[in-house]
Amino acid sequence: MVTPPKTHSQLFLNGLLNENPIFRLALSMCPAVGLSTSVMNGLLLGIAVLFVQVCSSCTISLIKNFIHPRIRIPTYTLTIATWVTVIDLVLAAYVPVAYKAMGIFVRLIVAFAIITMRLEVFACKHGLAPSFWDGMGMGFGFLFGMTILGAIREILGMGSFLGYDVLGFRPLLFFVLPAAGFFTVGFMMAIFNYVETFGRHRKKGC
Amino acid sequence: MVQAQAVFGGGTMKEILKIAIALTIACLIAGGVMGGVFIATAKAKKRNDQLNLQQTLFGLLGYGPNRSAPADLKVHTIYRYILADDGGTYSGYLMPAAGSPSDHELLIVDLNGKFIRRQELTLPPEKATDEQDRKQAIMEVLGPRTTANPADALMIAGTVAERRAYVVTGKFPGYKNAIHVMVALKPDFSILGLEITAHEEDPGLGGEIEKAYFKNQFRHKAFEEVKHLKVTTVPLAEEHRRFLEAEGAPARMLPETDAERSANKFQRDDIHAISGATISSAAVANGVRRLVRNAAQRISLLDQMIRENRIPAAF
Repeated sequence: MVTPPKTHSQLFLNGLLNENPIFRLALSMCPAVGLSTSVMNGLLLGIAVLFVQVCSSCTISLIKNFIHPRIRIPTYTLTIATWVTVIDLVLAAYVPVAYKAMGIFVRLIVAFAIITMRLEVFACKHGLAPSFWDGMGMGFGFLFGMTILGAIREILGMGSFLGYDVLGFRPLLFFVLPAAGFFTVGFMMAIFNYVETFGRHRKKGC
Repeated sequence: MVQAQAVFGGGTMKEILKIAIALTIACLIAGGVMGGVFIATAKAKKRNDQLNLQQTLFGLLGYGPNRSAPADLKVHTIYRYILADDGGTYSGYLMPAAGSPSDHELLIVDLNGKFIRRQELTLPPEKATDEQDRKQAIMEVLGPRTTANPADALMIAGTVAERRAYVVTGKFPGYKNAIHVMVALKPDFSILGLEITAHEEDPGLGGEIEKAYFKNQFRHKAFEEVKHLKVTTVPLAEEHRRFLEAEGAPARMLPETDAERSANKFQRDDIHAISGATISSAAVANGVRRLVRNAAQRISLLDQMIRENRIPAAF
């Protein structure tokens, strides 16, 4: 890793851009490829991950001193599973409309690599506030990535956006199939890398 | 980290114990949190499930934001139980009785449909919707020697003047796991509507059974047609699909003459299987056929029993 960022806004932007979970860290690729077939899917899964990531990061940063170092990973998994269950139950009980749309996504999250990875790399070494902002950054980074992927694939594959027909025809049906998920992720990674190198060159020039 | 290396080197018993205890405590805390939240939300979740059921039910009967249900419309639920004691196995129909809302009747019938006896019991309406409470009430009147297992439920919707519809719930095996459905029937047992309430079919393939173009094919099928319902692999015509998608969706309403023409044209069609998901389609068609036949048989039987034995039924 490069020099660790310091301020809260830097932490947030780090997750969104420099260390974007999907395009830079290449973590949690299964959902990124499998579920990003439409904007709505991407958005809902992104929101679910954002919640679980922030809650889990905060919890781990609070209890980090009590965790036995040899059972870190089981403890992280337990924490994530607890939050997933709690969110699942609360949504089902008090926000049935949201539960209907998001229920299946929330339950998927237990196995997401990105959340465990952030707990191991960041939350167990930092205080509450930085962990919160790191979680926010990573969560929004994932949400951003999923939404972009969803938008590209829905427009190219189905000719629609958020379920509304915008093009009137389906340009490339291939894009809604799982294989196209890898292509789209690849294209986005290339763009991210290009922007980064381009940015660096310009900085040197100045 | 020093600690971790020590364990690798020595592997002391104390260290292993420490890990085990730490992990146990972590699990207990997590379990406690989850259990607490479960208890706190159970009531609200149950209420939501019931609201959901009610909404599905009214939707099936054709009531919604655009067409409100008549004020005196009542839905009575009859729960069927499989009862068993030393003497054999019976069916038990638990149903609301006329009089106060707490009055219920339990009709006990042998497996050939012969009436054996009736039993009055009191069950407040708010308890009647709960599986546990219902079972307890039945056990109280029948005694501990009998076992009662819930089989299925039948709903009768009607006003004071007339019966409007029956709604039956049921499940049958699909391509992967059980498909749960609700079917609304008119008093002549023709299909008023079909709703898939739960399934685990593949999204995009068998999952299409919940789409309007598939489930609306069952609508308006007469009882005689339902008895011989089967699927066909002939593809769905574009006009037919438009007609099916428009049904029950006011936003896509077709001009009345078009709708009527399509309705007449496709009325006698078999169920068009979803392409790539013939097994799921056939499972639904066969399941609905069986469900409707059984329901029709049971309703006739019940009506006959109620008439012959002068049982004060609520419907």
